Amino acid sequence: MKSKLTTIAALGVAAVLALSGCGGGSGKDSADGTVTLKMVESLTNPTRTDTLKKLLAGFEKDNPNIKVDLISPPTDSADQKIQQMLQSGKGIDVVEARDITVGSFGANKWLYDMSADLDGWEGWDDLTENAVNYSKQDGKTYYIPYGFYGLSLFYRSDLVKDAGFDGPPASWKDLITQSEKLNDPGANKFGYAFRGGANANSNAVAIIEAYTADQVDKENAFLLSNGKTIFSAPEAQTAMDDYLELFKKGSPPSSVAWGYPEMVQGFSNGSTAFLLQDPEVIATIKESTSVKEDQWNVAPLLVGPAGKAIQPVASAGWGIAQSSEHKPEAVKLIKYLAQGEPATTFSKENSLVPILKSAATDPFYSTGPWAAYVTMTENPDTYISAVQPRGVAWWTEWIKKSDGELQRVLTGKMTTKELLTSWDTYWSEKLAG
Amino acid sequence: MAFDAQRTVTRSSETGSASPQPPKEYRHKKRFNARTAWTLAGFMAPAAIFVAIFTYYPMISGSQMAFRNWNLNDLSDTSWIGWGNFVTLFENPEFGTIVRNTVVWVVGSLVPQVVIGFALALFLKRKFRFRSGYQALIFFPWAVSGFLIGMLFRWMFNAEFGVVNDLLMKAGFIDTPIPWLAEPGFAMTAIIIANIWYGVTFFAIMILAALQSVSDEMYEAAAIDGAGKVRTLFSITLPAIAVTLGLTILLRIIWIFNFPDVIWAMTGGGPADQTHIITTYMIKITQEGDYGQASALGLIVVFTLMLFAVFYLMAMRPRKAKR
Amino acid sequence: MIDKQSIFGRVSKITFLSICLIVTIFPLYWIVITSLKAPGAIYELPLKYWPSEISFDNYIGLFTKSDFGRYMVNSLIVATVASTVATLISLLSAYVLARFQFAGRGAVMAAFLLTQMIPGFIALGPLYMMMSNFDLVDSKTGLILVYIAICIPFCTIMLRGFFENVPDALEEAAMIDGCSRLSALFRVLVPVMMPGIAASFIFNFVNCWNELFLSVTLMNSDENKTIPTALAGFISSFNIDWGSMSAAAVLTVVPTLAIFAFASKFIVQGLTAGAVKG
Repeated sequence: MKSKLTTIAALGVAAVLALSGCGGGSGKDSADGTVTLKMVESLTNPTRTDTLKKLLAGFEKDNPNIKVDLISPPTDSADQKIQQMLQSGKGIDVVEARDITVGSFGANKWLYDMSADLDGWEGWDDLTENAVNYSKQDGKTYYIPYGFYGLSLFYRSDLVKDAGFDGPPASWKDLITQSEKLNDPGANKFGYAFRGGANANSNAVAIIEAYTADQVDKENAFLLSNGKTIFSAPEAQTAMDDYLELFKKGSPPSSVAWGYPEMVQGFSNGSTAFLLQDPEVIATIKESTSVKEDQWNVAPLLVGPAGKAIQPVASAGWGIAQSSEHKPEAVKLIKYLAQGEPATTFSKENSLVPILKSAATDPFYSTGPWAAYVTMTENPDTYISAVQPRGVAWWTEWIKKSDGELQRVLTGKMTTKELLTSWDTYWSEKLAG
Repeated sequence: MAFDAQRTVTRSSETGSASPQPPKEYRHKKRFNARTAWTLAGFMAPAAIFVAIFTYYPMISGSQMAFRNWNLNDLSDTSWIGWGNFVTLFENPEFGTIVRNTVVWVVGSLVPQVVIGFALALFLKRKFRFRSGYQALIFFPWAVSGFLIGMLFRWMFNAEFGVVNDLLMKAGFIDTPIPWLAEPGFAMTAIIIANIWYGVTFFAIMILAALQSVSDEMYEAAAIDGAGKVRTLFSITLPAIAVTLGLTILLRIIWIFNFPDVIWAMTGGGPADQTHIITTYMIKITQEGDYGQASALGLIVVFTLMLFAVFYLMAMRPRKAKR
Repeated sequence: MIDKQSIFGRVSKITFLSICLIVTIFPLYWIVITSLKAPGAIYELPLKYWPSEISFDNYIGLFTKSDFGRYMVNSLIVATVASTVATLISLLSAYVLARFQFAGRGAVMAAFLLTQMIPGFIALGPLYMMMSNFDLVDSKTGLILVYIAICIPFCTIMLRGFFENVPDALEEAAMIDGCSRLSALFRVLVPVMMPGIAASFIFNFVNCWNELFLSVTLMNSDENKTIPTALAGFISSFNIDWGSMSAAAVLTVVPTLAIFAFASKFIVQGLTAGAVKG
């Protein structure tokens, strides 16, 4: 009796094992010639995944013999996972490459150079200059951007007005003044949604670049035109001291640990009045129930004492794994996403700076929160575009290092002077090779 | 693996010898032994194979990266660099903080877990109404994953919307919210509180189990001798469960040492890298792509724990003999 | 005098047990409350300890916006199969380690103990490569195999303790009756050790059910994701969806709580049997 039971149990286990076995993730092609592409995204969020799935459905409809499986790892560990997949060379065809990952992916020969496939592609003519430049870095096409990220200031128009200010802050000094006025910790109301957590370095670099805007090398925004790093400039010291004041007097104390999600939440749940972020956030704030549509707006990036700012352009896009066995189909998909309706839909629904020239005449981009972006593109001498060295192999190392040190400054374990010296040494040594 | 099928001496083998059995022939026994050996090898095989393939192979394969320049951001040069990764680690000014944090994390979590767990087990030992219902409820933390516990406490310790600050303010302990996860000292406290909450139950269960295996006669004898509660605790209860307690604590130390989940979810090692323990720091380096350094750190962990376990067990031995 | 003392004892016992209960249960309470607040209401101040309006939006969203039902089924399959197989395999190895003295026995025990000291992250990369070569990435079978391997060492150590408390006259008698060693083990020993086996099984199940890092590493598609991966997915690049996460957490904890409610006596009983020998 008992042994019978054991046998049954063992059989049951075997059956479940057999049933649950779904084979590997190699994307074997079925007999009818259908090709399955595995596409892996990195900057995952639910809304974006929905949009992407919609676009992929359209692609599959146009190409009945191609199927696309979208893989959406938790964004926190996505790039690490992508690295593993690329290294193993299996289960990945189309991949989301970011300006900060493409350098190392390319160096490891994990990405396929699409130059030859895209030679004479009709889509090139529709792309903005920026999009073309980013697609053809160092003569190689590792990815085509789907959009650009750039900083602008989200602000609470109602609070600014109630506090008696004429308009949103235009410079970092204004921001400090207004944030200090609006800061009221007792009521859980704060001025600025400070970035002290993950990627805190980005906004610190933004203020340093604004203060040194006159002298920044446009080809490498971490350098001055005299060849020294921006961190060595005396203006950088002023910038960091102001930045620390902004944190101490105008920001929530808990923002030492705030990364992207916490900052955006701090603004969208109504606890802070200012937020310096990518346009991507527009969609999120529109969904907020705590902040109504008429309570907020977007202003251009903050300028430094000389009235100028450096706009650090960041980008991400779709590339192809070197190991992919379906490169022609993958190229087809990437072309599809970079053209016409799909490209427009993707950048609009995710609020990205678009890659298509046609967007310039699109009313969508000249109204409401987008107006600030138009202002910035129309005044290239005030809002200077400069390239940050985001593609270097040591970028992740830099992020971790600089984030840690910035937090040390915020928690009083390091001075701004020590921080700048450390950053100056780091980049001087790295760039010297 | 050689099986010579020599029986361990247990009290049951004494029972066996007491029962009348015909003496076995030498030859017969030997043949029997060889067959048994194959059976036993067959019994051991599945476990050995699984552990070898899915644990030891990746681990050993991962260990060799510790001696190579293995950085996923640039794999063009993966040459052997000897102890280079270890040197880099030891030269890192943060290494001291991380080691200190690890000790604080282990001791700070363990001691309250043992003390509260022990008290809980003592109270749960005697039957009372609703005891099994109470047990089921109190087991709850054990059912939650480390990651989820981290997220849950991160939400409760949220400076602006967290319930901890709200309760403290309502109770009048503080006037302004504490930025729990933004200030190194508070952040360390918060993660340890979360870990204590998680671990008390485990100890309570293990100790309760041990207590219930102490025979009632011993207590009765103590009662007849007129021993008080405190004396009974120290002269009967503690010695009786010392071995179980010792082993449980050892296992627990190893686990807490190797338990990054809660910290990773709550603070990610921040602010300013001030709440990193060795294993969270390892995740951090892995995410930066430096697998060489991460493996080196992993090896340091394995050897530290091994040494610790050996010394710990040696220190426990005399107590075992006394029993 | 004696009366007073026992009253004091009772009061302190009740106080202590109540505090423990409240502290233990409060986070559960809070997560349930958070999950029942409407998405915007999570950020309302002053904090509400009971939602002014109970909303099931977070739960509905889980099943409409994400495939949470499928994740739950996946977790259930993976955890059940892995913990069952691991318990069976460990039963065999624990029996050998408990009953027989052989060269290398100490080494096997040490090798099993050592697995507990290895930080998992050292092995993740190579493990991924190996699984990828076997075509076992993004497959439930692959995850199950790895989980089995992870459960075996501790489960073996635990079960060994239980075996040592059962006299070996039992299976000896059965074997004299003509049973093979295997059937003796399952017919005679297993029934006696049932509480211990149940405790080990539950221990394995909870570990597999909650495992995050391996699942994130090895699973890709929505079809194969398990609950912990889905939970981690609620942290998107610019939002931590506390509402959905709380709802998902509640649903995740319910099955394990149910097992505990059903088997808490079993667990203590089981562990009691193994505890002394440790």
